[in-house]
Amino acid sequence: MKTTKDTTTAGNGGGDVRLTGISKTYGAFTAVHPLDLTVPEGSFFALLGASGCGKTTTLRMIAGLEEPTSGTVRLGDQDVTALPPYKRPVNTVFQSYALFPHLDIFENVAFGLRRRGIKSVRKQVEEMLDLVQLGEQARKKPHQLSGGQQQRVAVARALINHPRVLLLDEPLGALDLKLRRQMQLELKRIQTEVGITFVHVTHDQEEAMTMADTVAVMNAGRVEQLGSPTDLYENPRTTFVANFLGTSNLIEAEVDSKSGDEIVLKAGGGKLVLPGARTSAPTATGGKVLVGVRPEKISLTHADDAGEIPEGRNRITGRIVDSSFIGVSTQFVVDSPACSDFEVYVQNIDRDTRLVPGTEVVLHWNPAHTFGLDAAQSPLAGTVGSAGVETVEEEVAR
Amino acid sequence: MAFVNWLKRHLVVIAGLCTLAYLILPNVVVTVFSFNNPKGRFNYEWQEFSTAAWKDPCGVSGLCESLSLSLQIALWAMLGATLLGTMIAFALVRYRFRARGAVNSLIFLPMAMPEVVMAASLLTLFLNMGAQLGFWTILIAHIMFCLSFVVVAVKARVMSMDPRLEQAAQDLYAGPFQTFVRVTLPIAAPGIAAGALLAFALSFDDFIITNFNAGSTVTFPMFVWGSAQRGTPVQINVIGTAMFVVAVLLVLVSMAIGNRRRRQKA
Amino acid sequence: MTTVTEAPPLAPAPERKPPRRRGRWTPYLLLLPGLLWLVVFFALPVIYQASTSVQTGSLEEGYEVTWHFATYWDALSAYWPQFIRSVLYAASATVLCLLLGYPLAYLIAFRAGRWRNLIMILVIAPFFTSFLIRTLAWKTILADGGPVVGALDALHVLDVTNLLGWTAGDRVLATPLAVVCGLTYNFLPFMILPLYTSLERIDPRLHEAANDLYARPSTTFRRVTFPLSMPGVVSGTLLTFIPATGDYINADLLGSTDTRMVGNVIQTQFLRILDYPTAAALSFLLMAAILFMVTFYIRKSGTEDLV
Repeated sequence: MKTTKDTTTAGNGGGDVRLTGISKTYGAFTAVHPLDLTVPEGSFFALLGASGCGKTTTLRMIAGLEEPTSGTVRLGDQDVTALPPYKRPVNTVFQSYALFPHLDIFENVAFGLRRRGIKSVRKQVEEMLDLVQLGEQARKKPHQLSGGQQQRVAVARALINHPRVLLLDEPLGALDLKLRRQMQLELKRIQTEVGITFVHVTHDQEEAMTMADTVAVMNAGRVEQLGSPTDLYENPRTTFVANFLGTSNLIEAEVDSKSGDEIVLKAGGGKLVLPGARTSAPTATGGKVLVGVRPEKISLTHADDAGEIPEGRNRITGRIVDSSFIGVSTQFVVDSPACSDFEVYVQNIDRDTRLVPGTEVVLHWNPAHTFGLDAAQSPLAGTVGSAGVETVEEEVAR
Repeated sequence: MAFVNWLKRHLVVIAGLCTLAYLILPNVVVTVFSFNNPKGRFNYEWQEFSTAAWKDPCGVSGLCESLSLSLQIALWAMLGATLLGTMIAFALVRYRFRARGAVNSLIFLPMAMPEVVMAASLLTLFLNMGAQLGFWTILIAHIMFCLSFVVVAVKARVMSMDPRLEQAAQDLYAGPFQTFVRVTLPIAAPGIAAGALLAFALSFDDFIITNFNAGSTVTFPMFVWGSAQRGTPVQINVIGTAMFVVAVLLVLVSMAIGNRRRRQKA
Repeated sequence: MTTVTEAPPLAPAPERKPPRRRGRWTPYLLLLPGLLWLVVFFALPVIYQASTSVQTGSLEEGYEVTWHFATYWDALSAYWPQFIRSVLYAASATVLCLLLGYPLAYLIAFRAGRWRNLIMILVIAPFFTSFLIRTLAWKTILADGGPVVGALDALHVLDVTNLLGWTAGDRVLATPLAVVCGLTYNFLPFMILPLYTSLERIDPRLHEAANDLYARPSTTFRRVTFPLSMPGVVSGTLLTFIPATGDYINADLLGSTDTRMVGNVIQTQFLRILDYPTAAALSFLLMAAILFMVTFYIRKSGTEDLV
């Protein structure tokens, strides 16, 4: 490499991205509250959140396309806060790709190399096009390619510069579901192959969990929680995370007693057990706690067979309101004193034909699968109705 | 009954084609009469077929001089108006600044003002400045009234351009200047070309403003005007026909090239 | 390793280079030359014109501003017929342009198929022949005793137009009809192009949806197509009406002394009689009248965001 921009020597800390106290305000509107964030070198990092939560603004501040109101951006040990985008060793895959319509695929991919004064680009470009399986299309214009192909060109155009960090802004948003699945795996493969730090912005929680090593869930300009996908899913610390990542049944309960590591709660006339290690809420006796459990952890038993349920499981009684068969599982909505619309997903292994709407049932699950949240929050945060406003981020991006 | 139904279904087409005929008819007449051999000084009545005028298009004194002057003025006016208009269009679309409303009105007003008013006003200014009427005053006037049309054409194109394209260029190591030359300009080019073409056509064909501000200089439209009073040489029709044919040929050739290129790529 | 904390709002970041702002002065620099041009050669002259209109004096002794507003009154009382005529002719030509132009624009937008490009070329190409030459051709077309006049006479159309005062005897040339016909011809493309642009933007599926929802073709046009083409109608009528009002070429070439329009008067006053205050007052009146009508029209048609 002749260029100095993409040297990844150990001296400057390589591809760590360190945001320190970074924030962005537009007039009275705060898009990103001051936040500290470190993305370790070589990781696949996802910023997840609804539209308008500040994730794209954060990404654009790393790219240099947006000037932070406060704070610094560091790549390794280098402070790049004051560098314009064209001097940052960072490249972006833009939302809707932003391929240059007047240039063919080859020239699109070669653009960055040429701007850095590299004369012989042919070999590199061809290799890169082969990597994304577009060798045949080099002389076509972007509008002649399908959405998936355009997406791969956008990735190739950014990756060929060997950036220290690759930023992806909703890169799969314009693709249909099947293609999106395919590209998720493809991007993951490329990331493993090139070993570059990827920072990926998405509103699709499944996409974030499939691809990323670490996910930061953002809401209203703040990072709500950060961790591995499994950690976020199993141990959400806020109702927003519990609802935004998958579905959670949240029950308002009162702390009854504590025995060792177990907390016993009263909810809807019954008792529930919550492992103390799995709650982020204060658990003084008599205090309120939101108890959560994922729909797929719950078993459903006809009230007549209630006796067969093993001891030591959390139980709730209720009546089936609705059921829908979706192939791999059946989704039930159950009305119970503790919670009016309990969601339960039952694998279609041995289907109990008696479980039709109107049936009295017992819901039961292993107490270890219960998590506790601070009852001071809205139990509806992060559900579909309360998710961010669609247009806000669009406007902010301009 | 079937005929009435057919008529009903194709009424729009028939009416449209009638309008088209109305638009084309004068050009047909111009072409036919370019082969006329008129008796008097005026070329309004058909006499007999002749190719004399086609063999000697510059045979009338002053005609080809005025044509060449008009072409020169149109060329310079096009360059001037396109340069200034493109700059304004970019400023309007890409930047925030004070007094945007005032700027917009200043650009809109010349298009909403009858030519004769602009012409008379400008002449008053030139007379008061004691300016020598001629080539330069014509050029100044032409750039002035073409400017707004260029702004409108370029603005439309730049506005429909995705701002992410320029950001992508910056992200790919192109500095502001490189971004402009490599991305912004090529993408805005069709709009700029349209504006330039419009400016050329408007300038070349302008009579009213030129008539006021030309002094004794004679552009092609002024030559035609003058000859309408004194006697219309057949050569005028020859020039008119030739320009029509050249324009159509140019368009057809460029379309054919475009088609062929598209087919090669596919 | 990966950490997140909410940092307290920071004081202004310590010693950083001044934030790079994409030159605050760039827009003004871009605007400057063009706007200067318009101010010096458009706005100033118009203002100067206003002052000329209230000057008195003579060509020999020079003019000075005496706030002689009577010039306006004199001009108006002497030339009001030309004013009325201008507006009437321009309005008739605009309506005719709309009636003639709409079917053609519609044809190009929806019915032309592979002929679309050819028809577009035929609409635009006449532009390249000087409009004066083309206007002169109308002298031939409408010539006395020519086929057009003969046909109109045979169909008794001339009897009707004579009655209305549009034509005189068995002539079309040198009558109001000829002038309006020329105006219509000259400004027709300015009507067709904006109409086409707004029609072309209409999704053809809207027509299908309207048909699906029990609208007959005429209803579809009235309720869907025409309302959606309103921006084109408004800008087309403006682009036709404004220049037509100030035009004097058609009145001069195709008309007679009885069809003189305001443009003719201004031109004569300015270039022949050299009565600058009257000419300036007339231009100012014309400009004011047009701005007034246009503003009213734009308000009325509810398309203020047009420009």
